[in-house]
Amino acid sequence: MNPPAETALYTARAPAAIDWAAVAARGRLWRRVRAAAAYAFLVAVSIPIILPYFWLVTVAFSAKRGIAETTVLWRSLAILVPAVLLLWIAGVLSRNWRQMVLAFAGIAVVMIAALVIAVGPELHLRNFIFLIERDFASVVRSRMGEVSGATHFPSVWHAFANSLILAGSQTAIVVTVASLAGYYLSRFQFPGRAATLRALLVLHAFPVMTLIVPLFLMLFYMGLLDTLLGVILVLVAFELPFAIFIMKGFFDGVPWEIEMSALADGASRRQAFVRVVLPLVTNGIIAVSVFTFIRGWEEYIFTFTFLTRSTNWTMSLYMFFVRDDVMGVDYGVVSAVGVFYLVPSLLFYLFAQKYLSQISLGGVKA
Amino acid sequence: MATAKAMVERARGSSARRRQIVNFVIFLGPAILLTVVFFVIPVIVDIVVSFTDMGRSLRVTEFTTSQYERMFGGDPSLAHALSLTFIYVFSTLAIFNVTFGLILALVTTSIGRASGAFFRSVWLLPRMSPSVLYILLWIWVINPSELGLLNQILMTVFGLEKPIDPLSTAPVTLIVIANGFIGASLGMVIFTSAIRGIPEHLFHAARADGAGPLAIVRHITLPALRWPISFVTIYQTLSLLVSFEYILLLTGGGPFNATTVYALFIYRRAFESGQYAYGAALSLLLIIIGVVLALFGWRFFDMRKLLQRPRIEVH
Repeated sequence: MNPPAETALYTARAPAAIDWAAVAARGRLWRRVRAAAAYAFLVAVSIPIILPYFWLVTVAFSAKRGIAETTVLWRSLAILVPAVLLLWIAGVLSRNWRQMVLAFAGIAVVMIAALVIAVGPELHLRNFIFLIERDFASVVRSRMGEVSGATHFPSVWHAFANSLILAGSQTAIVVTVASLAGYYLSRFQFPGRAATLRALLVLHAFPVMTLIVPLFLMLFYMGLLDTLLGVILVLVAFELPFAIFIMKGFFDGVPWEIEMSALADGASRRQAFVRVVLPLVTNGIIAVSVFTFIRGWEEYIFTFTFLTRSTNWTMSLYMFFVRDDVMGVDYGVVSAVGVFYLVPSLLFYLFAQKYLSQISLGGVKA
Repeated sequence: MATAKAMVERARGSSARRRQIVNFVIFLGPAILLTVVFFVIPVIVDIVVSFTDMGRSLRVTEFTTSQYERMFGGDPSLAHALSLTFIYVFSTLAIFNVTFGLILALVTTSIGRASGAFFRSVWLLPRMSPSVLYILLWIWVINPSELGLLNQILMTVFGLEKPIDPLSTAPVTLIVIANGFIGASLGMVIFTSAIRGIPEHLFHAARADGAGPLAIVRHITLPALRWPISFVTIYQTLSLLVSFEYILLLTGGGPFNATTVYALFIYRRAFESGQYAYGAALSLLLIIIGVVLALFGWRFFDMRKLLQRPRIEVH
C-alpha cells in the first residue's frame, strides 16, 4: 500500500520470495479503499443536489406555517441516512440471498415505523389547495391574517392545459415535418442536397436565443404576439434542425432492400414511405416526440417574453408568478406547485430514457 | 411512329420531373418554409432594425447608424458585460462543464455499473427539472436569513456565526455554480459513453504492465477522450455565450449590473429599457459569433457518412 511496501515487492523478484496470498490481500484491500474513496466522493458531491429536492418535497407535504420549515427534512434524514448505511452494511456482510432479504426487510420495517412515528403526523395535503381553489392566493393570505394585495391567478388547470396544448401541438408538428424532411434527405438525390445538409448542421448548432429580439418584433408585426400559436411556431422552428437530424439517422438505418422490394411490388415512393418505412422508425418518432414534448413543457424564456396575458400562462409562467407573489407568504403552497410541475417532467424523462439512448447524431465522430 | 415514341418518352420524362418537384415540395417544403420564416427572416429583420431608431413604441422614424456608434463608441456597461461574459463562460466551462464532468465520468465508471448509473442520474436531475423550479430551489437554499438551507448547514455544522447572503456578496460565483451544476452533466454523459467505448483489453494490458490508476487515466483514458472533450468545449462555449435563462431567473442580472452577461445585456436593453434597435445591433454581434462557432462544430461530424448518396433514383 505505501511506497516502501511497493519497493519491497519489486526488489523481492526471486520467485520463492513472493508471498502471493499477501499480495492478493493487499490488492483486495487497495481496491476496497479506492472504491470507498470513490463512493465517499460521489456521495459528497451529490448531497448539494439531493438535499434541495428532498427539501422541496418535505415542505410541500408538511409545511403548516407558510415558512420554509426544515424540521421534517432533518427528522426524516436522521432516519433515512442511518437506514441507507445499515442497508449497505447488510448488503456487504450478508453471506447469501436469504440473509440479505431478511436483513433488508428488518431494516425497512424499522425505518418505515420510525418515519411514521416521527414524520407521519406532520404530513398533510393542504398545501395543494391551488389544485381546487382558484383564488388560493387570497385564502393563503387570509390564513396569514393578510387580506389585501393577492394576485388574481388563473386556475392551475388552465395553465396545465396551455402547457399541454403548447407542448402537444409543437410535438405533432415537429414529428410530422421532421419525418418528411428526414426521409427525403436520407433517400432522395436532388440538386443542393449536400448544401442543405451542411446548412442544417449549422442551424442545429445555431444559438436561437440570439434571435429573440427580431422574433419578438416579427410576432408583433404578424399579430401573433401574446398568442400560443406564435410561441408554438417559433419553438417548432427551433426544434426542427435537431429533429430532422435524428430522423435522418433513423431512416439511414432502415435497409434499402425493404424499400426496394416495396417499389418492385408496384408501390410509389410516397406509398413506400408511409406503409413500409415509417413503421420501421417508430423508435425514432417516439424519441423525437418525447424530446420535443419535454422542451415545450419546460420552456420559459420564450413564453415569458412572448406571452403576457394571464390566460395564456403555461405551467412555467404559473410557477414563476406563484413564486413571485406567494413566496414571501407561503413556502408550502409554492413547493406544492413545484412538485406538481416537476413530477410530470421527471416521468417524461424516465419514460424517454430508453428511447433517448438510441439517438445517434447523424454520425458524430469518436 | 418514331415521333410518337419520342413524345411518349418526353411525356414520361416530364411527368417524372413533375413528380420529383411534387415530392420535393411535400417532403422538404414545410421544413424549408419554417426554417426560412424563423431563422433567415429574423436575421434580416435584425440587421434592418439595427439601422433604425426603434424604441419602446416599436415605431421607426429614421434610419441611422447611431446604434453601432454607441456600441463601438464605449458604452461603459457594455464593456463590463463583455469582460464579465468572458469570466463567466471561461470559469463555468473550465471548472464544471469539462473538468468536473470528466471527474464525474471517471469516478462513476470506476465503480459498479448500477451505482454509477445512480450517481449519474442524480447529477442529471438539475438538467431534467424545469428551469423555473431549479432556480426556485437555489433561491430558497441561499436565502440570506437563518431559514436558508445553506445558512442552516453553515451555522449548525460549520459553526458560522452570522448568516451569509451569496446573492449580494458573491453573485458571479453563484451564477457560475448554478449553471455549472447543469453544465457538468452533459460532459459527464458524453465522456461516460466515450470511456465505455475504450476496448477493455487496453486497461488489462496497462494493469499487467504495472500502471497505476492515475497512469491509466493519463495514458489510456484521456487520449481516447480528445474528441469528446473538444466537442463539449465548443458546444458548451456556444450555449454558455448565448443562454441567460438561469441568470435572469436567479439574479435578474443584478445586483445592479454585476451578473449581466452579454446575452442578458441584450435582453435587458431590448425588453427592459425598450431599446429594440440597440438590442438588434448587439444581437448581430452574437449571431456572428454563434455562426462562426457553429461552423467550428462541423469538424465533429462525419461528413462523408452524412452526405452519403442515396441509392434509389425513383421518385
